[in-house]
Amino acid sequence: MKLYDQIFNVVKQFRKLFSPGPVTNADVSGSITAEIFLIVSLVLSAILLRHVSVLLAGLVALILAVVLISNIPLIPKFKIEQEDSLEKMLFYAVVTLCIIAVFLYWGGNLV
Amino acid sequence: MNELIPLMVIVPLMAGLLISAFSKFNKATKIFAFVVAICLPIIPLASNYGLHYFGGYEPIMDNVTNVMFHPAITYSFTFLQQIFIGMIGILTFLVVFIYLTKYKEVSGPYLFLLFLGTAAVTAMLLTDDIFHMFVFFEILALAQVGIVAASSIDYSYEMALKYMILGSIGSPIMLLGIGFLLALTGSVNVTDIAYAVHNGLVNITSPVFLLSLGLIFFGWLYASGLPPFHTIKSGIYSKAEPHGAALLQSFTVISMISIVLIMFRIYSVLPIFEVLVVFFSILAMILGVSLALTQTDFRRMIGFLAVGELGFIGLGIGLGTPYAITAGLFQALNEIIITALLFIGFGAIVNATNEVDTRKLGGLLAYHPKVSIMLLIGGLAMAGVPPLSGFQSKLMLVQASLSCGYPEISILAIMVSIATFVVFVKTFYTMFLRPKPNDLEVEGKDVPRAMVFAMGILLIIIVLLGIFPDIVIKGISTFVGGIL
Repeated sequence: MKLYDQIFNVVKQFRKLFSPGPVTNADVSGSITAEIFLIVSLVLSAILLRHVSVLLAGLVALILAVVLISNIPLIPKFKIEQEDSLEKMLFYAVVTLCIIAVFLYWGGNLV
Repeated sequence: MNELIPLMVIVPLMAGLLISAFSKFNKATKIFAFVVAICLPIIPLASNYGLHYFGGYEPIMDNVTNVMFHPAITYSFTFLQQIFIGMIGILTFLVVFIYLTKYKEVSGPYLFLLFLGTAAVTAMLLTDDIFHMFVFFEILALAQVGIVAASSIDYSYEMALKYMILGSIGSPIMLLGIGFLLALTGSVNVTDIAYAVHNGLVNITSPVFLLSLGLIFFGWLYASGLPPFHTIKSGIYSKAEPHGAALLQSFTVISMISIVLIMFRIYSVLPIFEVLVVFFSILAMILGVSLALTQTDFRRMIGFLAVGELGFIGLGIGLGTPYAITAGLFQALNEIIITALLFIGFGAIVNATNEVDTRKLGGLLAYHPKVSIMLLIGGLAMAGVPPLSGFQSKLMLVQASLSCGYPEISILAIMVSIATFVVFVKTFYTMFLRPKPNDLEVEGKDVPRAMVFAMGILLIIIVLLGIFPDIVIKGISTFVGGIL
């Protein structure tokens, strides 16, 4: 029953996502779908690294899967990071600029 | 008639200025705005394909190198521009029509912003000059801020201000990238720059060239609302009037494809460019759809779905083959139409109920059957259900990624489509099918006929493009063959 309890706790935490207001079955179903979709799509995207190195793709996909599954529910944490706060938007804009710089610094070797 | 090419920009621009200046004459303003809005889709259909050189400065041939240089700002009008400008024209007409029928006293400045935005995206599509593109990109950003701030929705000012602050980061960074490109090549004409890059006149491994890519790419992310700008983009859609949001999303799609096509022509020699486009497109698809699944405000939900759909367009461009780019551009056309239909349809529901929270809605199928059926078909088209237009473009994208050797991307695209379908099933059930909550008042409130008319027109286009996709695919693939 440990796994069942763990999943049940996850569902209970979705309540925070919809406060204030009632939580309906459709909302919880949507959140569970989002949770599963997020984990599967991120792991699937990590497999794309096989075009760089098969070993790297396997390792990253495995580590990502373990980290994501052990940290469920992800959506409430995720949603907090995606809210309309200007500070967070600016922070992620700077992070993105850094990611682009990293891509070009090391990825420039692909030329 | 190549003289009509610059008129596609001049007509909405001048009309907007005149409407703003003489807005105190309400009836005349209404008639004039209506007439101009009808002209907008007609001009691109009546115009011949070709080039227009501003100032009459024809290209100059260098007799030593046999290279053609373009001293003038050049507008290039092909099938791609015709179909997209025509579609924007139809959408602007529908939006202006909804606005004119909704209010007795119309606002001249608001109509000015709508026409200004249309003129800006038209210029961005036509121009072959990267600095000219940037100028209209800035004008478009201002028009978007104005359209959001002018809406009567709570906190619209705040959202518009945030968008402007983020724009004050994205736009100068893009301008800096254009400056680096100008320093390297000595030209702002895209054809000239692409010639210099593809013929070894520029060292493509130079840090300045790579830096220009990074900076312009960041500006493109802001223009197109891909991560990290997906939150603000969905935010401005939800804070604009529904008809305004329908036009705003089309502005986003057009600015996205016009900038990425310019970048593709210049930077396609760098494999890292395609990697970057695919990376951010996948991120947009995952974030957009997973956040849409958890929304209770249906305007925000459509906003996030619109961002997720942008990922499909980016994916097509990022894969880089002629078939994939054709699929991406076809997806862009479909997204403009489908998302506009959804924004107008859900706006009609807001009009009838004054409610945006799906938890407080229900049983609307009995009260608004026409709107609900049209919304359902629009939702199915966005999810990629056959035989609607969204299915054709998404099928092409799946096939393109498979043929490029990326089955993971195909699976991901199918998963995103399924998740989009789930979003619609969930929203349709909560708003239209489940029993009506007792405290919801819908009696006596009707949906404006102009909105139903606009939805009907868009629905016909969705079905037609779904059954006869070759009407546009052939022309788009010819255009793509020309730029590759």
